[in-house]
Amino acid sequence: MQVNIRHKGSVTILDIEGKIIGTDTLALKKVIDKQLETAPEGKLNLILNMARVQMMDSSGLGILVASYSTIKRNEGRIVLLNLGGNIRSLIVMAKLVTIFDRYDTEAEAIASFL
Amino acid sequence: MGEQVITLSLPSSMQHVSLLDVVITEILREMNFAEELQMQVNLAVIEAGTNAIKHGNKEDLGKRADFQFILSEEKLTIIIQDQGPGFTREDVADPLDPANLLKSSGRGIFLMEECMDSVDFEAKGTIIKMVKYKETPDPEEIR
Repeated sequence: MQVNIRHKGSVTILDIEGKIIGTDTLALKKVIDKQLETAPEGKLNLILNMARVQMMDSSGLGILVASYSTIKRNEGRIVLLNLGGNIRSLIVMAKLVTIFDRYDTEAEAIASFL
Repeated sequence: MGEQVITLSLPSSMQHVSLLDVVITEILREMNFAEELQMQVNLAVIEAGTNAIKHGNKEDLGKRADFQFILSEEKLTIIIQDQGPGFTREDVADPLDPANLLKSSGRGIFLMEECMDSVDFEAKGTIIKMVKYKETPDPEEIR
């Protein structure tokens, strides 16, 4: 798994590529935690771009859920961008569709923070 | 084609989950499973491997997680065995219960059962047997 970090205004975008499984889930958690640490007053506006994520396991889902709770507690927001069929199915299966806001374009995702 | 059996024995390190991923990915490709089914089985195997290594063997490198892949014309059977104390399926909380939705763990067994045609727990949960058919089977054929 690889993660590219971009910033657009007050929004942080993580472009994730590969499979979020096994030890990669902890690597993703570290990246998100680092962004939380450096966000102004801990308030993180985060977009996870999942366009190039082939697969994610339950540990990966756990990281998303834990990040959702932490970011929300600090009055930030986490949204998902470009969910492919596999990841979309996983989110639906785990009944997390009502938890995460999802967008199909980066412009829409960024606009949701304004 | 008769049955072919492939075995894999891993020391209990989460580092090896990616190796398990490579093996199951190739097996599924070789068996010509439909793409959607490949992803389902791939996920179930990763979950079962994580379960065996992390929760069963507690990442003790002295303990092994053993995988047996039985390939046949119509289905793939996967048997996973760990050396942990086992668990009771009924004691695992329902991750879809609204009270559990925001928990960061507890979805692995659920996803295995969702993705496979059958999942059976034997020897106090230290052996998991999972089956996936290449074509959707009649319910009576599954067990």
